[in-house]
Parts: sequence; C-alpha cells; structure tokens
Amino acid sequence: MIKNFLKLIANEFKLMLKGSVFSFVLFCLLIIACSIFSLSLRSESMGMNAPLSFLYIMIFFISLFKVEKIYSLDFDEAKLQQYILSPFSLEIIVFVKNMMIYLNLIIFFVIFSPLILIILNIDLSYLIQINILLSLSLLSIIFIASMTASITISKNNKLSLTSILTLPLFVPILIFSMAITDVIDFNTNKMYLFFVAYFLLNLAFSPLLTSFALKKLSV
Amino acid sequence: MIEVNNLSFARGNILIYKDINFKISPGELLLVSGANGVGKTTLLSNIVNFTEPLEGNITYHGTSIDNHIASECFLYIGENNFAYDTLTLNQNIDYWLSVHNVNFDKFIKNKSVNFLFQELNLDKKFYQLSFGQKKKLQLLLLMLVNKPVWILDDPYSGLDTRSIMKINTLLKKKIENKGIIIVTSHQKINLRNYKTLQLI
Repeated sequence: MIKNFLKLIANEFKLMLKGSVFSFVLFCLLIIACSIFSLSLRSESMGMNAPLSFLYIMIFFISLFKVEKIYSLDFDEAKLQQYILSPFSLEIIVFVKNMMIYLNLIIFFVIFSPLILIILNIDLSYLIQINILLSLSLLSIIFIASMTASITISKNNKLSLTSILTLPLFVPILIFSMAITDVIDFNTNKMYLFFVAYFLLNLAFSPLLTSFALKKLSV
Repeated sequence: MIEVNNLSFARGNILIYKDINFKISPGELLLVSGANGVGKTTLLSNIVNFTEPLEGNITYHGTSIDNHIASECFLYIGENNFAYDTLTLNQNIDYWLSVHNVNFDKFIKNKSVNFLFQELNLDKKFYQLSFGQKKKLQLLLLMLVNKPVWILDDPYSGLDTRSIMKINTLLKKKIENKGIIIVTSHQKINLRNYKTLQLI
C-alpha cells in the first residue's frame, strides 16, 4: 500500500510537471500585470504596502485559476469514478493533488520572485521573508480554493453560486497577508504561526468537504 | 452474491425505474439491456454506490454496499474514458494501477498489454490513440486489477470484432474463476450462459 502510495505521489508529480506550461503562462501574465502596476504608479512613492498587496491579490487569483483548471481536468466524471473506487480514499487523493498544485505554484513563485520584487520596486532584502510568508499562506489558499473548485465544477450543482460560501474563508489570509507589510520589519513569528494554524485548520476539513462535494455533486 | 431488491431510482421528479429485482451468484454474468435512456448506466451507478437509490436495497454477500465494499470488491469501467491525455499510454497504465493499489509484475503487465494492444507503441501520447485503442486501456484494467466483481458499461462500443472476441475471452475466464459480472450492452454477448435483465 505504501509503495503504491509513493508511486501515486510520483505519478501525480509527473502530471504536475506536464501542467507546468499553464502555470508558466499565469506567472508571465503576473509579471506583465506587475509591470503595468509599477509603471502606472511610478511617480508615486508607495513604500511596500501597495505593491505587496497587489502581488498577494494576483497570487490569490493565480491559485484560484490553477486549482479550478486542475480540478475540472482531473475530476471529470470518469476519473472521479475511478478515484472513488480506489483503495486510497478520495480525501487522500484530494490532499495529494492539492499539495502538487501547491508545489507547482511555489516553485514558479520562488523562481520568479526576484524579478517580481525588482519590477514592483521592493527591496530584495525582503525576498526570503516574502517567500516564506507566501509559501505558508498559499497552502491555505490552495486548500480553500479546492473546496470552491469542487463546487463550481460539479455537474449536479444547480446553484453554482454556492461556491461563494467558501470565499469568506479567504478573507483572514488576505487580511493577514496585507498585515505582513506592517510587521515584516519586526518580529514575523506570529504571522508564521497564524498561517501554520490556519493551514492546519483547513487541512482538517478541506479534503473532507472537497471530496464530499465531488462525490455528491459530480457523479 | 449481489442481490437487488425493489430498487427504484428517480432523478428530480422523473422516475427512471421502479421495482428492479435480481440476484447474481459468483460465476454468473448479468446482461442489462434496454433502449437508450431507460437507466442502464444509472442502475450500474446505484450498484457501485455512486448514487443512492430512491427505494430498495443492494447487498453484496448479505451486506449493504457502501464505499468500502465498492472500492474493495468492484471494478467499474464506465462509458467515458478516464485516462490523462497528456500522459503516454505506458504512463497512464502505471498511474491507474497505482491508483488501484496494484503491484504488478512487469512480465504480466507486458503480457496483458500485448494481448490487447499487440504492436502498439506504448510511448504514444494518449490523445494520439484512436477511440477503440483508448477504450482498450480501460479494459486493460480488467486484466491487471484483481477484484471479484466487474461492472462494465457498454464495454463493446468502439471495438473491432477481434477485440470484442478478446473481451469475451476475458469475461469467460472471469466467470470460470467464480467472478461476478454485470454488463450493459445493446448487443448480445457471445457466451453460453448468462442472465439478462431487460429495462423498459
């Protein structure tokens, strides 16, 4: 069982690599958006708040797009039926897929982050802090986005607006992410803790709710 | 044994079927037939516990079928293909065998692949295959995943005569090994003894 689980992770990793072109396109769009943002406000002295807030919002949308795309492809009816009949529970498969989406996005972010910070005129000395904080917050974003995606892709869901119910869950991440700009110079430990705690909270119920929605609404 | 008692199913306000009853013992095949839209696929979905019936119950060896029983004992091959277009045929085989937690011997895997695909290049991307070849990948699971019950939704669609004969060979061997098979199809199965259920 463990051997096959590891094999499943390796196979999901291969799938994730195949889907990297879409992530690359998304990050190219992010760079274009950051350039436009930076150029349009070049005469203003913004400090770090505005560029970082913009970056977070863009990352939030990129994650939503990516999760939505992966879920609509990987959880169509035929694949979902096989996943349900797999000896691995659907919750585990959802968890593995979410972690792979996370890995995919975070690798791209780490690669692109120096360029993004330069474009947004943010001091490169904050590179590591921004990377760490974004890595932690992205975990929660992906797991919440998976709940949203599982509802929106479902074929039996007559009221697709139901997915809006998950949107308030993003609010604490975005609020705390914006607050980073105020505390990044000081002790950021509390921020780390919040993101870890929020991720653990999401980890407890997100795979369960996602797989429940997939089972009930899509088969 | 799979036992279905007084099974009814409705989608919204529309009753799809009512009072379906049948029993299938190990070593038996049930052919479910009927016109389009009478609920053949829906009946299979009920049996595999993908959807819940309106009334009635389905048991496997006396126990109600839940997700655990379904994943342990049932292999379901539906109408639509589940493979990933971006992966090669070989990668798809590896992927779905790992999803089904199958430890396969390379020799057995190659033998099974050769039985269905002959000289086909396994490094071809899945989207490059024809409809029939794609269908065969689904049916390859029948040979490599060992589960006592096969639920097959129209397994012959898109297959040539030679492949249909091979599928029949697989069905025959499964019955000989005391497996249970439920098949929906518009055509008759070229096997000696099997039960039929006509949905109206």
